[in-house]
Amino acid sequence: MEGRHGAPTREAAEAAAARAPATTPAPGLAAPPPDGGPGLLDGLEEGVVVCDRAGVVRAANPAARALLPALRVGEVVDVARCEVLARAVHDRDAPASFETVVVHPEGERHLRGRRGPVLGPAPPPPPEPRDGDTTWYLRDVTGEHARTDTLLAAQERAAFLAEAGRALHGVLHLDRTARRVVALAVPRLAAGVTLVVRHDDTLTWACAELGGGRPRLGHAEATDLARVPRLAAALTGEGAGTGDPFLAGDLATLTGLEAPAGGVRALAVPTTGVVDALVVLAGPRSAGPDTGDALAVAEEDVLTSYVARAGAALAAAALHEEQAHLGAVLQESLAASRLPATPGIAWGAAYRPARETMRVGGDFYEVVDGSERSAFLLGDVCGKGIEAAVLSGRVRQSWHALRLLEDRPGRLLPLLNTALLDAVATRAESPRFATMVLGDARPLGDGTVVLRLATGGHPPPLVLRASGEVEAVPVSGMLVGGLREARFGEAEVLLGPGDTCLLYSDGVVEARGAGDFFGEERLAETLPRCAGTPAAVLCEHLEQTVVSWLDGHDHDDIAMLAVQAPPHAAGVPPKE
Amino acid sequence: MTTTSPPTDPVALRAAYLERLAASDEPGAVAVALGALDAGVDAETVLLDVVAGAQREVGDLWAAGEWTVVQEHVATHISERVVAAVAQRAPAPASSALGKVAVACLDGEWHGLPARLLAEVLARHGWAVEFLGASVPAAQLATHLHRAGPDVVAISSSLPSRLPAARRMVEACHATGTPVLAGGAAFGEDGRWARAVGADGWAPDGRAAAAMLAADPDGPWFADEAATATGTPGDVPAREEQAVLHARRAELVRHVAAALRPETAGGPVGTVPDELADDLGHLVDFLAAAVFVDDPGLFDGFVRWVGTVTIPDGLRTGEVAAALDALAAALADSPRTVRLLRSAPGAHGGQPATVG
Repeated sequence: MEGRHGAPTREAAEAAAARAPATTPAPGLAAPPPDGGPGLLDGLEEGVVVCDRAGVVRAANPAARALLPALRVGEVVDVARCEVLARAVHDRDAPASFETVVVHPEGERHLRGRRGPVLGPAPPPPPEPRDGDTTWYLRDVTGEHARTDTLLAAQERAAFLAEAGRALHGVLHLDRTARRVVALAVPRLAAGVTLVVRHDDTLTWACAELGGGRPRLGHAEATDLARVPRLAAALTGEGAGTGDPFLAGDLATLTGLEAPAGGVRALAVPTTGVVDALVVLAGPRSAGPDTGDALAVAEEDVLTSYVARAGAALAAAALHEEQAHLGAVLQESLAASRLPATPGIAWGAAYRPARETMRVGGDFYEVVDGSERSAFLLGDVCGKGIEAAVLSGRVRQSWHALRLLEDRPGRLLPLLNTALLDAVATRAESPRFATMVLGDARPLGDGTVVLRLATGGHPPPLVLRASGEVEAVPVSGMLVGGLREARFGEAEVLLGPGDTCLLYSDGVVEARGAGDFFGEERLAETLPRCAGTPAAVLCEHLEQTVVSWLDGHDHDDIAMLAVQAPPHAAGVPPKE
Repeated sequence: MTTTSPPTDPVALRAAYLERLAASDEPGAVAVALGALDAGVDAETVLLDVVAGAQREVGDLWAAGEWTVVQEHVATHISERVVAAVAQRAPAPASSALGKVAVACLDGEWHGLPARLLAEVLARHGWAVEFLGASVPAAQLATHLHRAGPDVVAISSSLPSRLPAARRMVEACHATGTPVLAGGAAFGEDGRWARAVGADGWAPDGRAAAAMLAADPDGPWFADEAATATGTPGDVPAREEQAVLHARRAELVRHVAAALRPETAGGPVGTVPDELADDLGHLVDFLAAAVFVDDPGLFDGFVRWVGTVTIPDGLRTGEVAAALDALAAALADSPRTVRLLRSAPGAHGGQPATVG
């Protein structure tokens, strides 16, 4: 086969191979075979088309045929459906190169064309190829590699920064953020990294070293900065003092860790003034901003971008910490109270606010131990979330104060009503209503407990007898905090040993699952199963039943309080 | 400590303790535990070998249908009181500088006692422990993570059906870079499902957890790190099919109930007996969890267990195959789910049921 058609001279082939793909016009090409069969040209990745003066295609290598499937050897170039090429072939004055887009069975192809030398009438005879000759195509790829390396390096930098951003972004705790800032920076940015953050009166430092394991973290008082003046200057100087060569010594004094042996570099961390922060790099990869080399500039860019991300994360964490502290203090003061251990009375409670992350809501209960009578309160202010919780706090504080003056529930509730109306009047608020049951419990010494109850606008309490019977306490009243002359209901209940009185908020019966509301009936059906169980177990069981009824659906605040006359002796609860 | 006199032998203590639980005798149970402490048994042994051991037996009694849910609740309540009493009598030493651990039960996991015991044990090993309680929503855990910044989160669950919730919690933890140590029967006998939900390690019990944390406070504790690092818990089809099951849970329960007992069809929700609805709900939950971790063993285990327990009005052994068929028919669009249903023990075309 190889001997059937002409081949380039050795020199031409070498020249072509050496400069490929920049120049491969196959200058020594003799009359090519009409089918454009195999030969040296066939191995080229560049497509080669040879046309005569009339524009008839004399030869085309496989690469050209692959690019232009309609191209036919022996036919005019126009049939190849590449207009720009056809024009270039016919018009010798057309530009010597072009770029175009051709339609191809595998989708559009971007094509770059370049005119080769015009072939002479009598090309020098090629050496006769021999059986077993091998062919090599050589290409200079220096530029390609340089481009790839640059690209990979740029990708690595981008990936590092993206990963750092992601890893820092989710952490809203200052210590953890500090630890992450140093952990992520080693070894990408330096062999050792120390971060110092001042937030209010506290200094936090974190230090990671190559091969040093888990980053170390410590705290100090801001006043300790007096011992380390150079560090203090660098920390607060917004960049000034970061070049101090003795900074490392100060850092070692603060952290109690060994000072890094080699060169260090300090950078102020931009935190928009929320905290002061400084990173100190030991053995940094980027020595400084003032080097001309493109790679060094890019490295410096990575460092400053990283420090900027770290600054944003530290600022966010510090701000979140302040807010979280505020929230935690508020939550603590508004959270459901602990139940006392009262001789002769067993208490149980369950609390599930609508916004579970808040852990506080508009439902509330309180129990206060007394020498003779223990007072209790369960209620619900309208709304949910922190606004409702704050209002519920007002109700509870008013109750705590007023019950010292008036312990009869039937009189206490109207006082509370007036107090709420007065409080609203002083604040130009729209009226906020509450519903509640309040009362007290007195153990009589024979195992029974007598309850006095008053209620306003609230679902009637249920009594679960030790026998499993359920009774609603027939008591009702008007909303609390609505009208000055509102009327409230009163009742007295005697609990025998093992009897339980359950106060609950409407979140229990209005819990809406996939189908229906939980409802009073279902509540009354669930209760007998808990006959004889401790009050705490009863509430826990009910809470669980209601939450499984909800099946993941949103719910209102849920509160329950159970008052129980303890069973006489330990007994096995009835089996279902 | 000596094992010759009965009051200090953990096995004898456990038997005595279980007897008090069976009698719902809180003071008696407290007396057994405190008596053991006074006789020189260390607190960890009392907590793990006596209290936790007895609670495991309570769980078995409940699973075997011998105890009611309420009885189990009462026993657990008593044990909670006992743990509090033990903590008061033999307080944990002040925490050393080891670090902070948050201990939480999965959302929907109401068995808070194992987690409470773990919290007690870890505190005794020098950790500063915050116990977040039973059934902690993922959002609440996230809030805690941001506020308290624990070094490790230990999650506990006894029910494999809660595994999808475990993934949400693990994601919440990992978003803040906090490693997660899983514990409890929910994650499989060898903890294999802990890996499937993305946790960094699994401990069979409180002692093991304390030892693992002491050896390496940062994790990951799974031996082959690569598996946990790359393992996105639940691939996309698994998550989608699990989500379908979760969203259609109530509808599926009604559908299967109607197929099993036609007399309940068409009526209001309340006409399906609670016990049957509970059993079918669990069946769907376990199916969803098995799809989620892509492990038929999880579902098969539950199906076998359902067959062994007879609760009046609950799912009867003879109804299991029909229930699986009804589910498969309703879930024809979910190929993995259907495959699990078809291969479950007792299913038509599946393995023979091991229980009659």
